[in-house]
Amino acid sequence: MTEAAEQVTEPDIDLTGANAILDKYVDMHGALMPALQEIQEFYGYIPESTVHLTAERLNVYTSQIYGVLTFYAQFHLQPRGKYIVRVCMGTACHVKGAGRIADTIKDRLGVGHAETTDDLKFTAEYVACIGACGMAPVIMVNDGTYGSLTVQKVDEVIEKYQAME
Amino acid sequence: MVTLTIDGKQVTVARTATIYDAAKEAGINIPVLCYAKKLLPYGACRVCLVEVEQMKGRLIPSCTTPVTDGMVVTTDSEEIRKVRKTVLEFLLVNHVVECPVCDKGGECDLQDLTYEYEVVANRFQGEKFDLPTDEVNPLIERNMNRCVLCGKCVRVCDEIVGYGSYSFINRGFETKIATAFDRGLDCEFCGQCVSMCPVGAILPRPFKFKARPWQLKEVDTVCGYCGNGCTVTLGVKANKVETIRFNDKTGVNDGNLCIRGRFGYSYVNSTERLTTPLIRKDGQLVKAGWDEALAAVSKGFKAAGKNLGIITGARLTNEEFYLLKKVAATVGTTNLDHSGGECYKGVTEGLKQTLGVTASTATFPQVEKADAILAIRSDFYETHPVFGMVVNQAVKRNHAKLSIVADKRGKFGKLPDARSLVTKPGLELNVLNGIARVLLDEGLAVTDGVAGLDELKKALAGFAPEQVAAATGVTVDALQQTARELAAAKNSAILLAYGLPYTAYSKELATAAANIAILTGNAGREGSGLYLCGEKANSQGAIDLAVLPGNQGLGAQAMLAAAAAGQVRSLYIVNEDPLVSYPDQGKVEAALAGAEFVVVQDLFLTETAKQADVVLPAASFAEKDGTFTNAERRLQRLHPGITSPGSAKTDQAIFQALLVSLGDKVVYTGTEAIFDALKAGTPYAGIGYADIGLQGAVWGGDHLTVSKQLVPVGGGATVDAPFQLVTGSALYHSGTMSTHASGPNAVISAPYVEFGREDAAALQLVDGDMVQVKGSGCELQLQARVDNRLPQGVLFAPYHFASAGLNRLYKGEASVAVEISK
Repeated sequence: MTEAAEQVTEPDIDLTGANAILDKYVDMHGALMPALQEIQEFYGYIPESTVHLTAERLNVYTSQIYGVLTFYAQFHLQPRGKYIVRVCMGTACHVKGAGRIADTIKDRLGVGHAETTDDLKFTAEYVACIGACGMAPVIMVNDGTYGSLTVQKVDEVIEKYQAME
Repeated sequence: MVTLTIDGKQVTVARTATIYDAAKEAGINIPVLCYAKKLLPYGACRVCLVEVEQMKGRLIPSCTTPVTDGMVVTTDSEEIRKVRKTVLEFLLVNHVVECPVCDKGGECDLQDLTYEYEVVANRFQGEKFDLPTDEVNPLIERNMNRCVLCGKCVRVCDEIVGYGSYSFINRGFETKIATAFDRGLDCEFCGQCVSMCPVGAILPRPFKFKARPWQLKEVDTVCGYCGNGCTVTLGVKANKVETIRFNDKTGVNDGNLCIRGRFGYSYVNSTERLTTPLIRKDGQLVKAGWDEALAAVSKGFKAAGKNLGIITGARLTNEEFYLLKKVAATVGTTNLDHSGGECYKGVTEGLKQTLGVTASTATFPQVEKADAILAIRSDFYETHPVFGMVVNQAVKRNHAKLSIVADKRGKFGKLPDARSLVTKPGLELNVLNGIARVLLDEGLAVTDGVAGLDELKKALAGFAPEQVAAATGVTVDALQQTARELAAAKNSAILLAYGLPYTAYSKELATAAANIAILTGNAGREGSGLYLCGEKANSQGAIDLAVLPGNQGLGAQAMLAAAAAGQVRSLYIVNEDPLVSYPDQGKVEAALAGAEFVVVQDLFLTETAKQADVVLPAASFAEKDGTFTNAERRLQRLHPGITSPGSAKTDQAIFQALLVSLGDKVVYTGTEAIFDALKAGTPYAGIGYADIGLQGAVWGGDHLTVSKQLVPVGGGATVDAPFQLVTGSALYHSGTMSTHASGPNAVISAPYVEFGREDAAALQLVDGDMVQVKGSGCELQLQARVDNRLPQGVLFAPYHFASAGLNRLYKGEASVAVEISK
């Protein structure tokens, strides 16, 4: 299949939220980044239809927005899980067995780096260092930090979030 | 000015120059990959590094570094060569070396530099790119494995074309040039990126494996489509135009072309071209020799005498127009008109009354420096794309204030801070009157040496901004701002495009535009101008040479009516397909049926030609010698690149033969002799054929002297209906000729009707749905397109396509009330 034929089939996105966000930025110069960040916060990722909407309303080329979105690691073009599990792969965590932690998560949730579970509940991400080397190996789930992990403790963390909505 | 030393040579250049510019001026060549004369400095490739005495310790990119007084620059040294070679080695780490099968081979900057710097081996190793090739569209192939990330395609598409197809995506080693969402290219296909690419990453697909660059004969000529008069350089191999070559040294367009210019040449090579004359025998058109055909034509014309009607297209050369006028004179008829005549007549009459001229008052370079621009009726992107690019640059680089008075939001409207004064079709006049009224009310108007002020004031009584706003939907603020900007501008440009599908209110719009030109001081001021842009390559020539009805002669529409009534007995239709392109198809049908003897001279067996008694096979612009006059009054030379297929002849040769057959004794020895003969009594009187050099020759100078007579003009009327249809030009096409070219056809090959989003949503239409368009007592089946250009209740259909039958519905009005059903 060619690149162009591979059109993303996206579920219908309600653009009301994006429109409300863009209302604030329409006449502002250099507003692309904050607008995209807010859109991502609202939808959990950047749906394609919001990119076209942003291009039209802020009068920026779609290609340029796509360039920005692919340059920064902070933007996601695919839906992401409700819970983002960040597995630290920094030096300290690596030495203390981050690989095993990642393997456990992959085994329990079925997702590796930058992958999302089918029910959109979990996304795993392997990150360079989250700055908590003293409690290596460490993971973050959204804003919560879990350190000095063992396989058993990882299981407990996962079970806790699985039990949540 | 700044003086510096480059390689021991003293150079004095403008303060704004870069080291690269200065070196070039001194005749010193610095290698570059990412630099292009017409793009802003970028500094991506690092091939142009030089040493600067005052900036020791590192090498300096010459293409982005401005010159300073006393600078001492070295452009070539052991160290510089070493670094440039290293840069090339880096580029060649990923670059896939497939020169033997790459179409760029032989004119590839990377190949040439690799050779020059003897990069025989590479000290670095890395992965070669293995990206899929974009072969989705039929015109432009992108192979990103060959890309050197110079960004020229990204920049030209943004800075000059204003479309923005490309961007750098991803980061670090993965960085590449891509479209939005990294899909296949889907754009205007002007191919500016093709012309800029220094390597074989972006190539014209129709040219693939056709010829090596050194096998091509290059012939500079003038594009045969619109009135912009772009230079196109034909790449000819074995009597076939294989491609259009990049050329930014000759002519008016700085190497810029649109899809028609770059890919629309293909009709020249079409296998459907007529190759012999055809004569109707027993109801069938059958092949015949020239002698027989010419004898039949001259017999028929002689029999008709003063009842012969001649309609010509506006793509003939000036020399051909002259000969055609001689044909008319020899036969003894004054019924002569050119296709644009119907709308030009109005426009030129309007301008004549007010400014006393019938042409653009200034030349294109002034537009680029304008502070304020007013574009009327057309988004120039559809009619004159390369002129549109000039406006782009005026707005994007020089921050010109742009206002557009039109019935839809086109590409111009997306330019930074552009103001779209969108109104219902037919009410553009009211908006212009409103602007004139603001100029007067606010005391901004220039009134010195202006005649007719009181009458205009009286006539504008009903056009107070509030009244205009209520009638047109354009805000008072927009009217006021536009008027104020135009009045405040030191240099301004007023643009008026015209053509066959834009006949309504021609005279009134030209008058209203001229009034604004006079009131804002635009008229007659150095650096400012009003631009009259003809639809066809030599529309201006047709006006200048008065290819118009003579004494008591009939114009095109009157001729058709008279032919239908049996008064005009014979029709000679040259280079035009009125059955498709003229408003009111029924009228043309009746004329063709009513005339006893119809001769059509064309490249193809057009719809009109199918009805003829004799068909004469003519030649394309690529086969012609002669001159065109573009929309800025510039005469430019055409040069034949190929010979015509079969026994087809140039219109010039046909007219000469016909004149001989009609008994005219004067034989011209060549094109120059015809040019010398035609000059008397025309604006071309002072121009010698030899004076028309690489940049052409502008008659009347950069600025025409104008009169300042204000002429009152009323408002327009719009159709009151839930849906109204307007027609016009689609970006990819020009007249009916481009529908024979595979290039533009590859993008748009069939007629369509365009809806705005609101209407599409209300009608539950999506792209590609078939709809019935009913109006003027007929019904058309058209494919729907949905875009965001049109306001609610207004639909658009391009007029180029025979199969649409659009001119059964459109009869020359500003818009037609229609009903839509699925």
